[in-house]
Amino acid sequence: MATQTERLPHEPTNMQIVRKTAQAFCLDVFLMAYVILVTHKIIYEKIILGLRYPDFNWNQPMTALGIGFLMAVALFFTKFSIGKAVFGLYEDDPEKTVLKQPYTLLGFLILILTIIAGIFISQISIREFLSESGLNGARRIFTALFHPNLDIFEPALFAAIETIYMAFIATIAALPIAFILGFFAARNLMADSRFFFSIYVLIRFCLNMTRSIEPLVWAIIFSVWVGIGPFAGMLALSLHSVSSLAKLYSEQIENISDGPIEAIKATGAHPIQVVWYGVVPQIVLPYLSFTIYRWDINVRMATVIGLVGGGGIGTMLMQYQGLAKWNEVGLLVLVIAAIVWVMDYSSSKIREAIK
Amino acid sequence: MLEIKDLQKVYPNGTHALKGVSFNVTKGEFLVIIGLSGSGKSTLLRCVNRLHEPTSGSIVFEGEETTTKRGKELRSLRARIGMIFQHFNLIPRATVMTNVLSGTLSRTGIFASIMGNYSVEDKEKAKKYIAIVGLTGKENSRADNLSGGQQQRVAIARALMQNPKILLADEPVASLDPATSHSVMKYLKKINEELGVTVVCNLHFLSLVRQYAGRVVALKDGKLIYEGSPLEINEEWFQTIYGEDAVEVTIN
Repeated sequence: MATQTERLPHEPTNMQIVRKTAQAFCLDVFLMAYVILVTHKIIYEKIILGLRYPDFNWNQPMTALGIGFLMAVALFFTKFSIGKAVFGLYEDDPEKTVLKQPYTLLGFLILILTIIAGIFISQISIREFLSESGLNGARRIFTALFHPNLDIFEPALFAAIETIYMAFIATIAALPIAFILGFFAARNLMADSRFFFSIYVLIRFCLNMTRSIEPLVWAIIFSVWVGIGPFAGMLALSLHSVSSLAKLYSEQIENISDGPIEAIKATGAHPIQVVWYGVVPQIVLPYLSFTIYRWDINVRMATVIGLVGGGGIGTMLMQYQGLAKWNEVGLLVLVIAAIVWVMDYSSSKIREAIK
Repeated sequence: MLEIKDLQKVYPNGTHALKGVSFNVTKGEFLVIIGLSGSGKSTLLRCVNRLHEPTSGSIVFEGEETTTKRGKELRSLRARIGMIFQHFNLIPRATVMTNVLSGTLSRTGIFASIMGNYSVEDKEKAKKYIAIVGLTGKENSRADNLSGGQQQRVAIARALMQNPKILLADEPVASLDPATSHSVMKYLKKINEELGVTVVCNLHFLSLVRQYAGRVVALKDGKLIYEGSPLEINEEWFQTIYGEDAVEVTIN
């Protein structure tokens, strides 16, 4: 069927070329404006003039955009346009590899500029890294860490168990919600009608939003909402798990083969039966594997979330760190490392076994 | 029992797969559709049970217009039409029994089918059809552990569970070796002759066509170009259907 299309798929239409040119041009304008801004604001004002707080007003980026526009126009007629290269508007030259093209040179220039600016902004300083007082402090902490205080082993263990349970419940609570959302976030199931497709877009958007906010931030929000403690941590992990799992699930659904679905449809089955017999058997094992992996991630994250009052071993760690009791911190770090190692090992073994 | 009139199908990407195809299928016959890949054979079969939506034209099945059916009516139409596929399309990781029983989904309730509660008669029937396709003893094996030919026989048993009036077979032997191909074709012939199920089958190999077909229609570029007995396809017709350069390949 598809082999007999009238037009070859590789031959771009005029419309596509116009669109690609516009996109390439926008990219060039953006890159040029970036180069001008970085050179002026960081290389010139911060590094050369040594200003701590240089003046800023919105005219500067606007001017940069304007100059960038002019430079992009000029670049467009040369072989230096990165935009044209990215969108494939240069003719292929079999003699020259990508690394030998003029536009690659410009790309390297931008990369070096960014590295210089980045080093300056990160305030990298070898002198402080190797200063005497600094090294002494580090030595003090490391010695304490390597002499863990075994007296608090029991409370640490209980806190660790609390963390594992919290992560487990967070995963279990996320599971059914993610399971259902996964179907609605799968393109191949939702593309049939405009109504379902708009639901798909909406759900995808919400999932991406919640996923892009770190669980640490969610834990802060929930600790205000339900009070400091394991419950806030669980809610934060749960929310993040829902969005991550739903995305993984939906990608799994998008990868299933259409064959069994077609066959079950052909028997006259109801759409729910089609999902149960055509879709579900193809996704059960990957789902299980993702979920176990998620539990593993949640245990690791739960220790971090404890730092902002999410309960468990993380909160304990935070308290001892605040009191500068490094021997106790040393023990807690060991316990956390042990849990993470055990979880990592067992989850990978289980996932291997159910493949 | 099946009348196809001026059937047209244009895919959303602009491919004109069927350009006004008309023919009839009479009850109890073994009709084979031949043609090159891309000639519209698969599309034609999928339009009959509406896995693909026809763009225009009419399909009348047992006196009922099918192209306008929706929802429950469409599902009951599909239930009366069995279908088997080139890649078998069995439920992965499920047993032979579960796969065969999935042919009864349209008459089993949604909840019962999710719980796996099938009626006793259906289970008996499933055993009977598994025996007919020669797989007794394999009921509880995982279907995806069987060989290709055995998997296609499971698919035939699944289609038979629907009590179909007609069986559509889309390239049923295209991914099987020659010996297995014959075995699967023999089972199709058997259910055509012994159970009286009308069979409409897409095939590639003319040698299989001559051996099993009662009647042949040929498609080329979405148009019907030949209709008649399989034995009347001579060299000249062969080249019209498959193109000037084609050489006939036989499988024994």
